[in-house]
Amino acid sequence: MRLDKTRVIAKREYLSRVRSKAFWATTVLLPLFMAAMFVGPVLIISRSTSHLDAVLVDGTGVLGPGIAERLSTRGPGVGALAEVELEVVASAVDPEAQRAALDRRLLDEEIDAWIWLDREGLAAGRAEYHARSVSNTLTQEQIEEAISTEVQKLRLTEAGFDPEVVEPLLEPIGLRTLKVSEEGSRAEAGEAGFFLAYGLFFMLYVVLLLWGQQVLQGVLEEKSSRVVEVIVSSARPFELMLGKLVGIGAAALTQFGLWIATAVALTAPALVSALGALPEDVGLPRLTPVQALAVVVFFLLGFFVYASMFAAVGACFNNAQEAQQLSFLPTAFIILPIFFLFPVINDSGGTLAVVTSLVPPLTPILMPLRIAVEMPPFWQVGLAVVLTGLFVYFMVRLCGRIYRVGILMYGKKPTVREIWRWVRYA
Amino acid sequence: MQPSLELIDVRKAYGDFVAVGGVSMVVPPGTIFGLLGPNGAGKTTTIRMILDIIAPDSGEVRLFGRPRRPEDLERIGYLPEERGLYRKMTVVEHLAFLGELHGLGPKDATARAERWLERLELADRAKAKVEELSKGMQQKIQLAGTVLHEPEVVILDEPFSGLDPINQGLFKDVLAEFKAEGRTILFSTHVMEQAEKLCDHICLISRGRAILEGELAEIKRRLGGNSYRVVADGDPAAWARIGEVPGVEAVVPGEGEARILLAPEAEGPAVLRELTGLLAVREFRSREPDLEEIFIKAVRDAA
Repeated sequence: MRLDKTRVIAKREYLSRVRSKAFWATTVLLPLFMAAMFVGPVLIISRSTSHLDAVLVDGTGVLGPGIAERLSTRGPGVGALAEVELEVVASAVDPEAQRAALDRRLLDEEIDAWIWLDREGLAAGRAEYHARSVSNTLTQEQIEEAISTEVQKLRLTEAGFDPEVVEPLLEPIGLRTLKVSEEGSRAEAGEAGFFLAYGLFFMLYVVLLLWGQQVLQGVLEEKSSRVVEVIVSSARPFELMLGKLVGIGAAALTQFGLWIATAVALTAPALVSALGALPEDVGLPRLTPVQALAVVVFFLLGFFVYASMFAAVGACFNNAQEAQQLSFLPTAFIILPIFFLFPVINDSGGTLAVVTSLVPPLTPILMPLRIAVEMPPFWQVGLAVVLTGLFVYFMVRLCGRIYRVGILMYGKKPTVREIWRWVRYA
Repeated sequence: MQPSLELIDVRKAYGDFVAVGGVSMVVPPGTIFGLLGPNGAGKTTTIRMILDIIAPDSGEVRLFGRPRRPEDLERIGYLPEERGLYRKMTVVEHLAFLGELHGLGPKDATARAERWLERLELADRAKAKVEELSKGMQQKIQLAGTVLHEPEVVILDEPFSGLDPINQGLFKDVLAEFKAEGRTILFSTHVMEQAEKLCDHICLISRGRAILEGELAEIKRRLGGNSYRVVADGDPAAWARIGEVPGVEAVVPGEGEARILLAPEAEGPAVLRELTGLLAVREFRSREPDLEEIFIKAVRDAA
């Protein structure tokens, strides 16, 4: 191993990438794209107010106006998703005819829904919601809540309580989420924490995949342009591979580091409060510098695990089409953690999360995910680093053997058995 | 003087296929050494073993009079048969990169790259990307990259294959200049005429074995005392049988003619009499043997 050779090769790989326009375009555009992907739908849902024309058949004779008012005052605003305009009617003598008439109006698209509320239902704790589509669950919840509150008020009043006293007692409770860590407690919106973890996960996933592919392409380019033999006449194939991994890894780290630094800066308490974008008690999730560092370490480990596999695959084949067959292998290792995404976010200290985040091929993506949700015990993080470090050593050695033979093989596509023989030769 | 390069019974097999089955040779310093043999003889494998690109199964590679050390490779310039450049790099950066890879400092490497570009009349293309250059220009860059670090030994694998005539001339000039500067040049070729014009020493390889090695002039003296050119009319079957004539050791067939190499004890007139029994001989003339005849004879003797 001569480090100077590896350094010269790494320098070339790094500069040729960092100087390219594509690098900076990706660095700027990818986060914007991802932000648009995650924030976009949320914004659209929270901003868009659907309008619902509904008829409430009030068999109780008393609840209708209260419900209508509750729904209309909640109007468009925070938490309200639909503007519900409620027309309150009394129940007719012939309920079947009334129901049929309402169904007709519904089907003629005169109204969007009709709600049936009567004493019988009230006793059973049930109201009916009829609509052409019943998949607007958020709006239904809104209606349900309004009816429930009015019904509770009615029940209490009928039990002898003063309506004036009851009203304020029925005010609903919202959960104010506080995240507790060694640094103390602070308010953090639950959704925001989820999105941070989720966003980090996808960033890792995308970056590892993209940069792994870069390694694959780089090796294939060296082979197809035949430049590789000039290089290996003065650097050993292993030095070349390591130089490539280090150089491309450094470029990947530059990009990832810029993003993480931006994330740390944007979520720093000072900046968030300066922007005053959010109410004081709803904090954005914070990525602390310690967490960021841990994430970067696992990112690097992950890069070496996957990139060495991509390098070995690239070395075996002559072009991208041929390489496609086997490049599913490293890709699969990157994709596999997706299956554990939700369990790990939901219960980041649970057995499943702990075990999967300690399995080396999964660690580079799952451990940062856990770190973003809740800092795991130190011994787990340390063990993960050691295990993955050993795995990296093993993979780089194994792939180095394949690479060494593969890069000088032209022509025929090797079979898996032949590749295995290369490993044993070395 | 210590030989620049020495191979001692070097062997390499891939499974059952023997690529190099025992090659020994000594390359004296300051010479142009030709590694000759038909395609598939094992020339490239031999060269790759010299450069430590592949490890021999057995045998030894000695450089500069002692067992090869990793740092020796910085004193060698290598132009492989399969060659290429990074397409997206600029010319001057690419050359500097190759220089640095051979142990030059970044500034030194860039300065030398610029000097070579001047010399190759490519200075105006220094900032161009490799992919923007013509094939001929890329070949020049490749040569410059091989010798930028002023290696003591230059190894070229089939250097003239695929070169346009202008670059062939350039390459020959550079080789001659290097020889004048006292550098050692080893190149492989399957074209005997090229080797004959350029080499001082040769090593003939056939089926993975070195079958003849030494100074070219001496080899010619030793093996080529008895060479004739035959011009004659006759059917192909008759031509094919001239190798069976007693005293004939090698035949290089041509169009209506052949060059033949006789055994040292064979008499020209006796062979001519035999030949006239087969063909209507119009010309039978003694001549200096060429490498191709010697090669064919050597292959036959080795078999």
